[in-house]
Amino acid sequence: MAAPAIILATLLVACLTQACHGNVLFSSLKRTLVVTATPKAGEVLKGGEDKVTVTWSLNGTYKGQDSEYKTVKVKLCYSPISQKDRGWRKTEDELHKDKTCQFTIVSRPYSASAPKGNFTWTIEKDIPQATYFIRAYALNAKDDQVAYGQTTNTGKTTNLFTVNAVTGRHVSLDIASVCFSAFSVVSLAFFFAIEKRKAKKSSPPPPQM
Amino acid sequence: MEVSSINVESQRDTKFALPVDSEHKATVFPLFSFAKPHMRAFHLSWVSFFACFVSTFAAPPLLPVIRDNLSLTATDIGNAGIASVSGAVFARVAMGTACDLFGPRLASACLCLLTAPAMYCFAVANSAVSFLLVRFFVGFSLATFVSTQFWMSSMFSPRVVGSANGVAAGWGNLGGGATQLIMPLVFVLIRDIGAVKFTAWRIAFFIPALFQTLSAFAVVLFGQDMPDGNFHKLEKAGEKAKDKFSKVFYHGVTNYRAWIFALTYGYCFGVELTIDNIIAEYFYDRFNLKLHSAGLIAASFGLANFFSRPGGGIFSDMMARKFGMRGRLWALWIVQTLGGVFCIILGVVSSLWASIFVMILFSIFVQAACGLTFGVVPFVSRRSLGLIFFKGSKYSKETGITLMGVMIIACTIPIMFIYFPQWGGMFCGPSSKKEATEEHYYKAEWSEEEQSQGYHLQSMNENS
Repeated sequence: MAAPAIILATLLVACLTQACHGNVLFSSLKRTLVVTATPKAGEVLKGGEDKVTVTWSLNGTYKGQDSEYKTVKVKLCYSPISQKDRGWRKTEDELHKDKTCQFTIVSRPYSASAPKGNFTWTIEKDIPQATYFIRAYALNAKDDQVAYGQTTNTGKTTNLFTVNAVTGRHVSLDIASVCFSAFSVVSLAFFFAIEKRKAKKSSPPPPQM
Repeated sequence: MEVSSINVESQRDTKFALPVDSEHKATVFPLFSFAKPHMRAFHLSWVSFFACFVSTFAAPPLLPVIRDNLSLTATDIGNAGIASVSGAVFARVAMGTACDLFGPRLASACLCLLTAPAMYCFAVANSAVSFLLVRFFVGFSLATFVSTQFWMSSMFSPRVVGSANGVAAGWGNLGGGATQLIMPLVFVLIRDIGAVKFTAWRIAFFIPALFQTLSAFAVVLFGQDMPDGNFHKLEKAGEKAKDKFSKVFYHGVTNYRAWIFALTYGYCFGVELTIDNIIAEYFYDRFNLKLHSAGLIAASFGLANFFSRPGGGIFSDMMARKFGMRGRLWALWIVQTLGGVFCIILGVVSSLWASIFVMILFSIFVQAACGLTFGVVPFVSRRSLGLIFFKGSKYSKETGITLMGVMIIACTIPIMFIYFPQWGGMFCGPSSKKEATEEHYYKAEWSEEEQSQGYHLQSMNENS
């Protein structure tokens, strides 16, 4: 009977730890950062080859409000078109549940005296085929998001770019597939032929006078 | 000196390693023996069935990678999942015929070797359509279930055939669980060797494909169709009577019990297949786990088959000893309904550990229900036994898991309508009419003419 008790205890702990983590809502963040990136609106980039240069800085109107900011995390985020019918990329207001921005481009410490930063990033080979924008989060000392900035508008409709992903296919793989498939089918035919031959051999011999 | 034909060979006193009945079928089932030809056939058949399950469900645990590579939408994934289990529905009917025509050994090898190319072609898939097509064709391999059951029914006497069938099917179904462990591990290994994510999963598919090919070879090279020899030899000698497909089909299709079991089996085995398809992705997305953690949890669902499906069969036999067929029917109804209840709960719990716990309970009951179904199915018909091995499937998403639980319960209710004149049903006792005997029930499957020729004798078995 100890088993149900243990299970209940772990359930309780799991629930509590969930509650302890700061539940930051995206709608509570102020858009104080200005983020720009090299891809133009509608540009198509190649995964694994092309580069993206991101620049971020503090918006002049929010000068002096950046005392909390300790880190800047720049992320590659899915646009609404690429989120459609794909629940694993869904946007949620609770940031720890949000799946909009799944790839971190760079993470840099932030200092109020030198708020500007930039980074050139080569699009990695495992970035999927989709349409993206770039967002930068400002994090405080507890690693909670406190502000953000992004390359697109609030509706996430402008200034989006597409990444043409690596297919992952190779000529050698294609050839191997064909060879092994042919081998399977041919060996099957071979087995049937052998069975037929065995059956013929064991048929009764024609009656002899 | 002239040696006459094969008739002498089959009548000679062949020594079998296991005790056999008058048809040379084994009367015991020693699980850990490899005695030729009976236990060898058992091990070959469950391993090749296992390989087919591994292949059919090789994609689900890797879906988080594949869906990004092929830009799949949730609809695409859902359709591919349905395709993967629906091909087998028709293939099963064809398999029954194939087994009758050229024996379970060649029929199973034929299916495995013809679906292996589809597995190799996963490496070449580049769109939602090609993904759906390969999953559809690989899914045909699940029809090896028919050849497994057929082979076991040829090798084992009625006393132990339930256990042999149950363990062979259960251990084969294990493949659906094992693959959720194997594929993420193989993928991570290949990726760590240096392949890019989108190439690594393609290479990973060669492993189950090769396993399937090699198991087919083993079946042909080391297996034997019947205790006395292989099909071709026996058929030519006139020892195996042939039956017309149309007659077999007619008797299967006009038996109302077959339809009720098709429905209820759809809601235990079909559910098992659906869960095999969605559970890894479900845990990965809902609880933000790593790929191999989601795979581990998903695997425990399928791996429960190791004991739960055979357990269902054994429980059915136990109930039969105490309460006869009515006991089997009640046990099936209770277990499958409970499976439905746990399915409802699974869709409702929102914490990781509660989900895992409920899922394990759900898996045990659903798989035991499959085992219990096959405690009754062989009794529905003897003539059309091959055809009764039929199944349906249904697909649903996250919250749909709860709805699926409701459907399981609803579709299990028809079991209440099953009635065997000689044994009774859930709510009615056996008929007191003179013609309500086992012999009469099975004899009725054959026409007057056929009975006068003695064809019905193969359904009458002094060993049952």
